[in-house]
Amino acid sequence: MKYRHRLFYYKNPYDTQSDNAFLNAAKENFIYQYTHCKEYGRIADGLGITADTLQTIDDIPRLPCLPTLLFKRHRLKSAPTLIRATSSGTSGNFSEIGFDIGGLLCALRMSCKIAQKRRLISLIPCHYIVMGYKPHRGNRTAVTKTALCATFLAPAINRRYILKYKNGAYSPDFEGIISALKKLDNSVFPVRFMGFPAYTFFLMKMMDEQNIHIRLKKGSKIMLGGGWKQFYAEQADKASFYRLAEKVFGIEDKDIVEFFGAVEHPILYCDCPNHHFHVPVYSRVVIRDGTTLNPVPEGTVGLVNLITPMVSATPILSVMTDDLGVLHSGSQCGCGIPTPYLEIIGRVAPTEIKTCAAGAAEALKEASK
Amino acid sequence: MILYRGKIFDSAEQDRILAEMEPYINRTLSEKTLPAEKVIDAIARLGKEIAAGTHDTLLATLQADDPRRYKLLAAAMLSRENLELKLKTELYGTTSPDSPPAIQVKMMSLGVIFHIAAGNMDGLPAFSLAEGLLTGNINILKLPQADNGISLEIISRLIALEPALKDYIFVFDTPSSDVRAMQRMAELADGICVWGGEAAVKAVRSLAPTGAKLIEWGHKLGFCYIADPGNPECLTSELSLLAEHIAETKQLLCSSCQTIFLNTEEEADLLKFCETFLPLLEAASAKHHSGTIGERAYLTLMRHTEYLEELIGQSHNAAGEYRGTGCRLIVRSDSELELSPMMCSVLVKRLPEDQIVSVLRRKKGLLQTAGLICAPEKRDAFTELFARCGVTRITTAGNMSAYFNGEAHDGEYALRRYVRMVDIEV
Repeated sequence: MKYRHRLFYYKNPYDTQSDNAFLNAAKENFIYQYTHCKEYGRIADGLGITADTLQTIDDIPRLPCLPTLLFKRHRLKSAPTLIRATSSGTSGNFSEIGFDIGGLLCALRMSCKIAQKRRLISLIPCHYIVMGYKPHRGNRTAVTKTALCATFLAPAINRRYILKYKNGAYSPDFEGIISALKKLDNSVFPVRFMGFPAYTFFLMKMMDEQNIHIRLKKGSKIMLGGGWKQFYAEQADKASFYRLAEKVFGIEDKDIVEFFGAVEHPILYCDCPNHHFHVPVYSRVVIRDGTTLNPVPEGTVGLVNLITPMVSATPILSVMTDDLGVLHSGSQCGCGIPTPYLEIIGRVAPTEIKTCAAGAAEALKEASK
Repeated sequence: MILYRGKIFDSAEQDRILAEMEPYINRTLSEKTLPAEKVIDAIARLGKEIAAGTHDTLLATLQADDPRRYKLLAAAMLSRENLELKLKTELYGTTSPDSPPAIQVKMMSLGVIFHIAAGNMDGLPAFSLAEGLLTGNINILKLPQADNGISLEIISRLIALEPALKDYIFVFDTPSSDVRAMQRMAELADGICVWGGEAAVKAVRSLAPTGAKLIEWGHKLGFCYIADPGNPECLTSELSLLAEHIAETKQLLCSSCQTIFLNTEEEADLLKFCETFLPLLEAASAKHHSGTIGERAYLTLMRHTEYLEELIGQSHNAAGEYRGTGCRLIVRSDSELELSPMMCSVLVKRLPEDQIVSVLRRKKGLLQTAGLICAPEKRDAFTELFARCGVTRITTAGNMSAYFNGEAHDGEYALRRYVRMVDIEV
């Protein structure tokens, strides 16, 4: 995996000259998957794709593109894995992705580069408020692992979690977090929030309604990741989120950082100061037409296909998420990062398509357990 | 949300309400009766309101491609004529006019019916409830997870039109994982009506108290049979209607066409058929494509996933595949009736007429609708043959999922399952 190594050791994570390195690493990964994962091999054969198909960077969209749904239904693997992480689906409906040691080292290297670029690495100790799950033996979700990882970007004085595991289930403890935050008013150490935007937003709304406004130490940050989960209806527009953060905590817009990622595409997307997700060298994004799956030009809405050669243990080289998005030209942003940026605008069909009687059947499987 | 005594309550009050229900139900059973006429009147008024457009805003929230079609269907199903016809055809003759003088056989409601509704058709839970009401039963309805609120609104309106119904309707949106609540509802019931597959039915059996009557409406399969496929061009108009049916239902209903059978031994006939049929299906699919890009993309993703699964599996004896925009025809060399990948992905197989019985009998518990494309002079013979195999509905290809006033359901008159006979010595 020498080409993967080269790609992940790029100095500038937003270098625009990485096409060749990316193509070589993708080709290397394709050959590995083709020879090590029989299901992947069959798919490639069925689609008539071989390593020779990949001649230039423009051939990247021709890689077999595996929907996340396929990973939810089949456990595909190409090598023994070091750790496994799952998406946060319920009732057995989740992807399980295995990582190899080489892939994890790449991930570490990538995270450092990206975090450095956004000035998230600091030696000043801080208090962490994790607006997500407290790690627990039974919880293997990637979102829990990444939230924990984020608490190592600066030394931790302590970590408080909003979702605590009690009596076999997680429940949010807003009151506990609010009383902890009150004690941190005017603390000499900064506070870092990490976790679900929805919980963070609710917390701020609750505090605002109760007229609790505190001033956190300069350098405090709000880091958001893991998506808006089941709270789409309450989805705050970003501007009101930033206003509230300033009002309730005194945290400015520039100190609010959002991450985007998926267990099936474990590349750390971190927003720029203008809050756009620029595509790093480790990843390529193809937006595909919702009916024909053909690639569409920049500026057009379609299905988001994410490509990375980071992992060899699972064939996640090219995956199709169930997100809808648009790719914009980097020059439209104005932050100075030249690579295109990805805007996620929603999910495919918000409710599950209902099949004959499947609603009752599915639900009752639960009951019969 | 819970609908109880005609009012909406928050789900948090579930335990309190469940605890109160038994004495309340007992009081209703001992003191009140629900005349069918009152129910018909209320439902017919609701049907008229729907037809007149009073509930258009509600219908507009449906994910259906064409809410107008739902409106027409609802108006027809809920009409006084249909309801009266239903009562008459389904319950007539259940008591013998020639009872011996010493005993009188009286038809009574079962008592309490617990409906565990499916979510594959908007408004279906409400219709299941209506059948329970027509037979005078008290109804506990557990909404499917996929219910989008329309059932609750329709039912609330029905109670507003006829307040007497409030003692006969309880609606819960309890998730099925809440076994304790499900068990409690089952305990209160004389009959449990379940829509769903084997897993659902099995789970309900484990919940049901001894002696409770299980009213199962299981998974069924529909198919189309083309009796004279030698010349597919001649069939174009019927094939267009079949394509419309497939695109419109997206093959999600029990009556939807999953497999198209051709009366032939030759694989070449299947391929020839696909060449004729694919453009028709493509056109129908374009006409019925889902409104939003999100829904379209979802269907595309499903189809793409199914396609890759087939490449992985290689278990299927795929003889060919015709991919069109928004649809797919999968040619197989076997003759089994099976569920297609749905979403406009249809299986095409050969089934020579002398093998019909042996093939269909292998799926006897699952047979529902056969759409028959056939010369008029042969139609009766094929219809008879399918009926003998266990098929319960035989229609033209375009009408496979159409609703006919007075029709039975999966081989039975639904209302008969919601009543019992009481013998009374005179």
